[in-house]
Amino acid sequence: MRRLVGPLLAVTAALVLADSAVVTLALPAILRHLDTTVGQVAWVLIAFNLVLGLAAVPAAAIYARAQPRFLSALGIAVFAGASAWCAVAGSIETLIGARCVQAVGGALALVGCLELLVEHYGERRGVTVWVTAGVIGTATGPVAGGLLTEGISWQSIFVVQVPFAVLAVPAALAVRARPETAPDRHRPALRPNLTLALLSAALTAALFLLVLLLVEGWRRDPATAALTVSVVPVAALLAHPLALLLRPPPHVEVAAGCFLIAGGLVGLAIPPSDHLAWTVAPQALVGLGLGMTVDRLTAQAMELRLPRIRHAGWTISARHLGVVVGLAILTPVFTADLQDAQVPAQEAITALVLDAPLPPQDKIAIAQALGDELVDEEGRIPDLHSAFARADVAPEQRPAAAQLERDLDAQLTRAATHAFRDSFLIGAGLALLALLTVVAPRGRREQP
Amino acid sequence: MTQPWRFVALPIVALALVAGVLGVQVSHGGGEYEPLHPADPCVAREVTSQAEGIDNLTERLVLLGLDGAACRLETSREALTLELAQQDEPTDEQVDALRAGLHAAVARMKKDGTLPKISSFVDEALDNTDLNGFLKAAIKALPDSVIDAALKTDDVLDRAIDDLDLREILANLDDQDELNAQLNPVVEQAVKDALVDRLENLI
Repeated sequence: MRRLVGPLLAVTAALVLADSAVVTLALPAILRHLDTTVGQVAWVLIAFNLVLGLAAVPAAAIYARAQPRFLSALGIAVFAGASAWCAVAGSIETLIGARCVQAVGGALALVGCLELLVEHYGERRGVTVWVTAGVIGTATGPVAGGLLTEGISWQSIFVVQVPFAVLAVPAALAVRARPETAPDRHRPALRPNLTLALLSAALTAALFLLVLLLVEGWRRDPATAALTVSVVPVAALLAHPLALLLRPPPHVEVAAGCFLIAGGLVGLAIPPSDHLAWTVAPQALVGLGLGMTVDRLTAQAMELRLPRIRHAGWTISARHLGVVVGLAILTPVFTADLQDAQVPAQEAITALVLDAPLPPQDKIAIAQALGDELVDEEGRIPDLHSAFARADVAPEQRPAAAQLERDLDAQLTRAATHAFRDSFLIGAGLALLALLTVVAPRGRREQP
Repeated sequence: MTQPWRFVALPIVALALVAGVLGVQVSHGGGEYEPLHPADPCVAREVTSQAEGIDNLTERLVLLGLDGAACRLETSREALTLELAQQDEPTDEQVDALRAGLHAAVARMKKDGTLPKISSFVDEALDNTDLNGFLKAAIKALPDSVIDAALKTDDVLDRAIDDLDLREILANLDDQDELNAQLNPVVEQAVKDALVDRLENLI
């Protein structure tokens, strides 16, 4: 058991941070299963990150007054129980409520795991394991969530977390760490935390929007989308060797990382087609940027600052409130853009139907079926296949109708891609703001 | 690695990577992956139809007429079609524009020689009328040259367009029988009026 304590605590930290984005690829499935709206389903992500961001600092403060192993075990147990509750939620309101409870448990578990890992491995190695577990969790969360959604169901994302968390409870109880009673000797590191918050907002744009674009806009299944977005964590792994090769100073590495994320988001805003290959290089830029920034900024925010757990709370808070700010800015923008995209999409569809090489009566039959489908799917990207299946078209005209269906789908894909453009560009703007916080001149008190 | 290089090497690599990726995206049409833009309805376009006979003529007339109406209303053909489909009833302005667009379509087809002679679809038209069999057979027996001399397609169409109840037609687009029941008397009346005028002119 002793040898499993460290890995189990690291997995718990990774699970909590993975939960920040693990449901991203499941959102379309949740949207359909719980019969809700894009705006509401975004709260499955927002609620968790908001509560985790708000609870992290108070949770860290509680650790000054209680045994870390008991608090950590309690946090992990609450996290596990709430994960199970998420899996059985029958309405969007219940799911959002369960996610809030999950985040409270997650906040206690996350800061507790830091204390226990430091006690278990020692200061330097313990912090490194905690930070690395967090980065791995953040980067791989959407991929794991997508594969589980496609392979089993969206509920399985929450179910699989329960056994890991249950095993981590005795692991937490096995580490006899003392409460952190050191007084607040250092103020929170403003600059790295601000950069972290802005980058988290930008990375949210990259993952959240890309996943929605792939699944809803380009009609790819969650497994394909998961494999596609796995480019980000793979590229993040390459950041370290590149930094070792070029040996840049830390702030130069972070600045270059911010620039790469901004560049990647601009690339995602302007794909030349809906071929998945066009997302690979922009995602690689985002992944490289992620690998150069998040762990380094987290370490900078905590470096030589006491009490350690309080500053860990601030970094968690900065990251997750950054995600919330990103979602709060981007969700209304892209939902409004999707709404606005309906007019050009409908006009493009109308043009193709009017000019289709079909007899007039078949055109009218298809136009009527399409009209019904567009009314039924108000606010969502419609599935035209059922309209074509319903339309009463002469058998000899079926090949021409099938070609028309492919052409109309292509127009919908173009309209959806265009609708996401502004949101990706706003994400790039957030990454450039993060870059500004890195390169802005430092005051005397900030000089290292 | 020397100290200055440590400061500039990674930014240069990052800049090159971003420029390379964005350059390739833009050179392959990145930024232009958008839905079709509606064409200018005031610019003449070629229209075709997969139908035959009267349906072929009707579809081409409607497509050109929509362009003409949209041009008059300063909107696109697609936007006008969607408006007409989504409204309960077309406005007076839309009906006037549609009628004017159909007249302009007849004029354009006459000008560019794509308006068929009336003899080419007289048999099909007769099959859809309620005339007695003897009269139908008599008209069918007439040489094409006589029919084409007596009736001009553009004249018949213009008369029919003037008499059409466009509101009713738009409401019955999905019902072929209703459409035929509405169009046939109008076309018959247009043919009769054209013949009477022709006779009056001869006298």
